[in-house]
Amino acid sequence: MINLILLFPLFACLILAIFKKKFLNNLMVNLYAVLHFIVATAACLNIELLPMWSGNRFFAADNTNKIFLMVMSIVFLATAIYNNGYIKNNEELTKKIRHYTYMILFFVFSMTGAVLSTNLGITWVFIEGTTLASAYLIYFHKTKHSIEAAWKYVFICSIGIALAFVGIILLTIATGNLNTLFYKELYVNAQLFNPFWLKLSFVFILFGIGTKMGLAPVHFWLPDAHAEAPSPISALLSATLLNSAFLMILNVFRITVFAGCDGYARIMLMTMGFLSLFVTAVFVYHINNYKRMLAYSSIENMGILAIGTALGGIGMLAAIIHLIGHSLIKASFFLTAGNILELYGTKKIKSVNGLLETDRKTGWLWVLSFAGIAAFPPSVLFISEFLMIKSMFLKGHYILSVLFLLLLTIVIYGLGKAVIRMTFSSKTEETTPISFGWNMYLPQIVMLFLAFLTGIYMPQSLTRILLAGVAGF
Amino acid sequence: MENIFIILLGLSMIYIAATSRLAAHVNMLIVQGWLLFFVCLTGFAKEPWFNWSMVSGSGAIMANIPHIVGFLFVIVETLVVKAFIIPLFLKKVVKKTNAHRDTEANIPHFYCLFISSVILFAGFLIANIDAPQFKLIDSMYFGVSIAIIITSLWLITIKHKVLSNVIGFITMENGIFLLSLSVAKEMPIIVNLGVLLDIFIAVFILGMLVREINNEFDDLEVSHLSDLKDYEYND
Repeated sequence: MINLILLFPLFACLILAIFKKKFLNNLMVNLYAVLHFIVATAACLNIELLPMWSGNRFFAADNTNKIFLMVMSIVFLATAIYNNGYIKNNEELTKKIRHYTYMILFFVFSMTGAVLSTNLGITWVFIEGTTLASAYLIYFHKTKHSIEAAWKYVFICSIGIALAFVGIILLTIATGNLNTLFYKELYVNAQLFNPFWLKLSFVFILFGIGTKMGLAPVHFWLPDAHAEAPSPISALLSATLLNSAFLMILNVFRITVFAGCDGYARIMLMTMGFLSLFVTAVFVYHINNYKRMLAYSSIENMGILAIGTALGGIGMLAAIIHLIGHSLIKASFFLTAGNILELYGTKKIKSVNGLLETDRKTGWLWVLSFAGIAAFPPSVLFISEFLMIKSMFLKGHYILSVLFLLLLTIVIYGLGKAVIRMTFSSKTEETTPISFGWNMYLPQIVMLFLAFLTGIYMPQSLTRILLAGVAGF
Repeated sequence: MENIFIILLGLSMIYIAATSRLAAHVNMLIVQGWLLFFVCLTGFAKEPWFNWSMVSGSGAIMANIPHIVGFLFVIVETLVVKAFIIPLFLKKVVKKTNAHRDTEANIPHFYCLFISSVILFAGFLIANIDAPQFKLIDSMYFGVSIAIIITSLWLITIKHKVLSNVIGFITMENGIFLLSLSVAKEMPIIVNLGVLLDIFIAVFILGMLVREINNEFDDLEVSHLSDLKDYEYND
């Protein structure tokens, strides 16, 4: 079935280009989301639905990437449902909406390609593809600010990804006589690689793809792009794009593990992870734009993923659980931010007062999303962060774990201050009441429910999938 | 033979660093495209299969198809895309936006000349490192390409026009192309194609954004694009 989700967007774009009907726009996105979800579920449960369409040499689901695929599917489905309501509320020209639809299809297509690819070179191509597809989506509102955000995004990410290509070239030098970029062959032959070139290539790939993933100190595009993009796109950027970049880093990291020079890679990941936490703690404290606040929180969570990867073992398992939880909760957070933006017409934290009075459901979703991202139990992030701290203690990193807790506390304080001010204050000015359809609440409710449910009860089958995914780190 | 072309590539970066006319920069991109083509051509000329007999008769063509495809691909990549389409597109953008000069760089041109020469010199020094690791690569390619990449990144940081930044990005891609030639192995053709397509679309999108920036802000100064920040922010 994997070929199907890679081919469907192309057909969908073709149909859209030929018929140019308004109703087709949303239909195609929804259809793709449902198809994506079915295929991802089948891949996770190891069911082969249509053997004719099963993967090929360059794209296949394996133990690790099917977790990423599943997370992407859930978030994309939720975003697609939300998008129906969002498009209805935003009166735009049919042509502009059609371009928006093309780009969403291409964006999800390139992320899917990046996640499923079995070849380092192909992954690179698709990661660059995500940059190009999402550039238009960030520029969608065509204001001065969105042009600035789109320019920074394309330029910084393209340079980062070009440097990652330097890393790939250095990796081919390291491979010696082996002429391949397939992950499987790279893993098998990793011990023969030249460690000098391998280490150098990891530096380039970590910094290059780290730009895309939003790790400090190369995160500068992220707050701008997330804040200026339409809210469904912000949710996709934060909850799926950053993950697919993380997967590429993870795969290259695995090569260094097999080659036996991972000590060096772990130090680099750890440093970038803590830097990300530090940057978020510094900036989120005085933040005055709630979408930028969420973007900084994404940087923080990407930092946590990097730290978990660096720890290895239980830390790696925690990182994968964290990735799932963060994607679900952060997507819900961004979609709710979209509701708030519709209600108040501003992104300033100070101008949003009495959210609970204005729209009770949006207000509670906002508070619950905060509770989830702040890792209050029973949020699944509580488990992942707890496991991570446990893993730090086991490895004797006492000072690091104190630093980790301290930085997280500052971040939660910064987020909490803003969220409480927005929701529980009394309403100062009258806003024009806007009523949202069910499709602008339900996706967030479902994603939060999943995130809190897995915090209380994690089924055996899920645990097995997760353990298989992190085997070998 | 190819060392001459590689050194000329390095020198073309010094020229870009020392001039302020954007049209001259675009012309240097054409020159770089041709030079990269000649570097590839000298590489091909060393191969035993590379002579006229490979296209003599259908049997020889069938036997040499992978080589011919590789050769045609290099022609498309260097001559058609790097030396023709991208410069043509940028020339159009220069004309549309009326941005002929990038005068107010942060550093005077004399220093630019000096610093880029030092970087190139450092590249030559890298090329002469005698370490076992460097046995795996062609060190001349490696040194100069590192120098080109670093010079481009540095030029991006000091120039004031967004179009100069795009040109810096393309010269960096040229440097990376040269770096990929330093490895004797070839990337799979599908990867090469993807890379080429991505770079091409990236330049295209950047060019479109340059036009939009010109329409929105009336000129192409980078300083306009610094309104989004965390403090004193108005939306």
